[in-house]
Amino acid sequence: MTVLEVMERAGIRDTNLAIAWIKDAVHFIESTQAENLKVRKMSIVKNQRDYDLPADLISINSISVLDTEDDNKYKKIRRISGEHYVTEDTNP
Amino acid sequence: MSYDTSSNYFWRINGQKMQLFRYRKNSFLTPDVSGRVQADDNELVYPDEAITNGLRIEYNAFVKPFVSADPNTLATDTNETTWTNPTLTEVTAPEETSHVNLNRMLSLACVCFVQGQNAAKEGNIQLKEYYMREFYKKLADNESNKRKISISFASPVSSVR
Repeated sequence: MTVLEVMERAGIRDTNLAIAWIKDAVHFIESTQAENLKVRKMSIVKNQRDYDLPADLISINSISVLDTEDDNKYKKIRRISGEHYVTEDTNP
Repeated sequence: MSYDTSSNYFWRINGQKMQLFRYRKNSFLTPDVSGRVQADDNELVYPDEAITNGLRIEYNAFVKPFVSADPNTLATDTNETTWTNPTLTEVTAPEETSHVNLNRMLSLACVCFVQGQNAAKEGNIQLKEYYMREFYKKLADNESNKRKISISFASPVSSVR
């Protein structure tokens, strides 16, 4: 569907405003549905706990870690729920 | 050498960062340097080894909201074995002729969203709520379209017909 078709169906005359709202709608859709899945890989650094998330991330689908002893398969890992009692380890 | 990573690693989100932990099982039978026996034998520690490209994140991304070709028609459709999807090139400065990179149902949901925002702009919150309900209804329809499951039940042998 073109931008013009969306504008005609919605009865909007302002193109820039319609484009801004369509972008918002796409963002809403991406945050609730798995439409455009992307994969990014990064290296795990020894004794480093914090890792950057990709800047274009809307919602996380899964996080996996490489199992080098099982034919280099990426295996999905679980999220910790609740608070972890160590807030920072200064000598990891 | 990482092993059994699905059981040994955990993650959580803290602000804009992701935190990665490794689950370490300690032997509670071995006394520590002070000669004490550990009461708690398990702990979460920082990753204790470097793994090249060891972390894989699969996520929903905000990609190509506007494209130059219609994403809902095939580029080639000769027969059931010869077909190709269109090559979608992102339009960075969208115009009225640009295509919204969504399927037909989500495009209709997009129309409801735009109608809702327009109603809110005109101060009609009740109408906005109506259109937003329609928007979410279409999102649900789109999701259920991917999950068509037929369930059949065997009749019990004792059924009286």
